[in-house]
Amino acid sequence: MTDNSGRTDATGSPDTDAPLDPAAMYALLQNQQRSVETQMGAFVPYITLAWGLTWLLGFGALWLIDGLQPAFSLPLGVAIPIFIGTILVSGWFSAWLGIRSGRGMRGNAASAFTGTVYGITWSIGATALAVFGAALRYQGMSAELANFYYPSAYVLFAGIMYIVAAAIWHAVPSLIAGCWLVIIAVAAPFFGYPGHYLFLALAGGLSFLALAAFGAVHQRRVRRAANGGHHG
Amino acid sequence: MDELDPVIHAQARLRIMAALSTLEADGSISFPRLQELLDMTAGNLSTHLRKLEDASYVDITKAHKGRTPITYLGLSKKGRRAFEDYMDTLRTVLGEQ
Repeated sequence: MTDNSGRTDATGSPDTDAPLDPAAMYALLQNQQRSVETQMGAFVPYITLAWGLTWLLGFGALWLIDGLQPAFSLPLGVAIPIFIGTILVSGWFSAWLGIRSGRGMRGNAASAFTGTVYGITWSIGATALAVFGAALRYQGMSAELANFYYPSAYVLFAGIMYIVAAAIWHAVPSLIAGCWLVIIAVAAPFFGYPGHYLFLALAGGLSFLALAAFGAVHQRRVRRAANGGHHG
Repeated sequence: MDELDPVIHAQARLRIMAALSTLEADGSISFPRLQELLDMTAGNLSTHLRKLEDASYVDITKAHKGRTPITYLGLSKKGRRAFEDYMDTLRTVLGEQ
């Protein structure tokens, strides 16, 4: 092995070579697998937290344009940059954490293809929805209707992408989040303008924050079980 | 009856095999990242990896990132099969099957 530092084993090398009884070995095996998977997924609650805040702040800002009229109105020139800015920051943060969590890992060609196609699909879908919206506007869709089309189209698309991610990477939380996004995307227009923005901010934002908290607690529980399964 | 594979049936090597088994087929992980995930010393990890390599359970490939050499490790087909057999045997011993 090239990377032999020559350090002696602090855990007492004869012990790490000795087997435990079969039940303890089986527990060690399972705890180790869980520990690795948890460490690899440790970044997920942070991403979920970032998107929870993005939903709250972004859609919250859009709601504040007219939602508290006449007492208060957030200028359009402030609300739109908040909406776009929070999405860009969360997108960048998600990509950075994703890359960081994959450091030192090499997948096979098939998984690299899957990941690339999935990533590009986000861009294709986002662009297509914008062009589709522009086409509808060109054909006479009013600005009032566009206020419903754009948020619902994007939330619906995001929901479907979460479901696709769940199918590819066998992630149940992603499936739950995806189904929820599809539901709130089609439900939002029923709340009317500007209530649909508040609905999306709360139904999307609070559920992402709840998912982040649940994920963090779950990971801590798994980590504790794994740490109890071996010593060093 | 069934005998547990002595190459895997040691705490440190079982942990290494269990960690590598979570990678996808043909996937690999760098030595420092594996060391970090397992929380083992480099010396201890190297010692046990050599035993797994001697049994052809682990594939070792060397790559370069810039001028820095990186060692990547993954389960060989033989290693993945041996690990699955080991788990089956363990379950049989424990009466789960």
